[in-house]
Amino acid sequence: MCWVCEKYGNGEKWYLNPENYARRLYKVRKEGREASGADADPQAAGMGAGVVAELVKARISGDLKWEEEIKRDALEHAYQTHFGQVVTLDEYLQILDIAYPLVKMTCGCRRVQRGMPDEENFTCMGIGPGMYKWERWPETYRGGVEFLTPEEAKQWAMMNHKEGRVQTVDVFGTPYIGGLCQCEYPGCVAVRNRLDYDFKFLLKGHTVAKVDREKCTGCKSCLGRCQFKSLNLEVYTNKAYVDMDQCFGCGLCITACPSGAIELLDRESLPGLAENW
Amino acid sequence: MIAQIKINFDLCKDPLLCRQCLSVCPSVVFVCGPTKIWKGRETDPQEYRIFGRYLDKCSGCGDCVKVCPTGAVDLGFLPKEQLAQRYQEERIAQLKERNS
Ligand code: SF4
Ligand code: SF4
Ligand code: SF4
Ligand code: SF4
Ligand code: SF4
Repeated sequence: MCWVCEKYGNGEKWYLNPENYARRLYKVRKEGREASGADADPQAAGMGAGVVAELVKARISGDLKWEEEIKRDALEHAYQTHFGQVVTLDEYLQILDIAYPLVKMTCGCRRVQRGMPDEENFTCMGIGPGMYKWERWPETYRGGVEFLTPEEAKQWAMMNHKEGRVQTVDVFGTPYIGGLCQCEYPGCVAVRNRLDYDFKFLLKGHTVAKVDREKCTGCKSCLGRCQFKSLNLEVYTNKAYVDMDQCFGCGLCITACPSGAIELLDRESLPGLAENW
Repeated sequence: MIAQIKINFDLCKDPLLCRQCLSVCPSVVFVCGPTKIWKGRETDPQEYRIFGRYLDKCSGCGDCVKVCPTGAVDLGFLPKEQLAQRYQEERIAQLKERNS
């Protein structure tokens, strides 16, 4: 279990704990924000825009201590307000039975990084009581929202998984979970900043993929599925190779394997990776 | 060398509608975001601004300059050591201020 589970899981994985979707928390968040005078919407605030500009500077200057300090300060804040974690499709579908209402909305990251037009950009899901008030902050929900039934949401989630998007839960005022994302590298700011700058705004998931080298036929169907640069073909042995240290446990590679040669293991069951979030 | 990108906001007026540089950049160097967020309405397109953000990732391919229909992208390069020194000085000033 990661630190978020320890704090907010109530013995479960934190994002499967219904308390973290409760209206009560949404209210707490609102008051907290208004009290602190933060009038901007949570999504824009959470993108860490200024932080990345600083990080790039620190990188160029080669000052590692500076870089670490920027990350430490930014994460201290982020872990209290807005961060995410990778989940598997199974977990995602379970969440769709807990959270309500469910709305399809446009993805802020792809707008920011690629200028994706709204019509082509409905890859985010807003959840919970806050959605009834989306019209208060139309910029956050630019392009509008579309309310879905849990059944429709599940179909949509499975379609996204099939197409190859990583699924994550997103916190808006810890531990209130207000969003479910379908992300990718480099279009997703969170994935990009994690991979390119090791900025741990996005946490790895509770599972890790492992290749069964006996079963793998080297068919290459899984290649191209990984958004975390963790999967390639070992050409000399003609087997898929998962960098387990780098794997985020999204499970996208597994769905593509016709031979059942990749397994999702519990991170906890691997002593060498159990604390690697 | 590290890219230095300046966008002329008098020429680039509606980046979300245009988005040519965002879309073409092979290294996703640009970000485009609202400078203001209002209660009750979407941000006007004129309040969106585009920036070169991931400057350490820019290859210098020049595609952004080529596609920009208004000539708003100014792409230059500085030696990495020169920039590193500038930022190190900024950092020293920052630490000094903090400790004063
Ligand atoms: S986290 Fe993913 S889905 Fe959410 S806004 Fe970013 S890229 Fe889009
Ligand atoms: S190796 Fe597989 S499970 Fe791990 S991050 Fe890549 S696609 Fe996801
Ligand atoms: S899809 Fe399965 S069998 Fe094919 S290369 Fe990947 S792991 Fe091996
Ligand atoms: S020069 Fe090439 S890599 Fe650099 S910002 Fe322009 S398009 Fe992107
Ligand atoms: S291509 Fe030029 S005008 Fe178009 S968004 Fe980019 S900078 Fe602005």
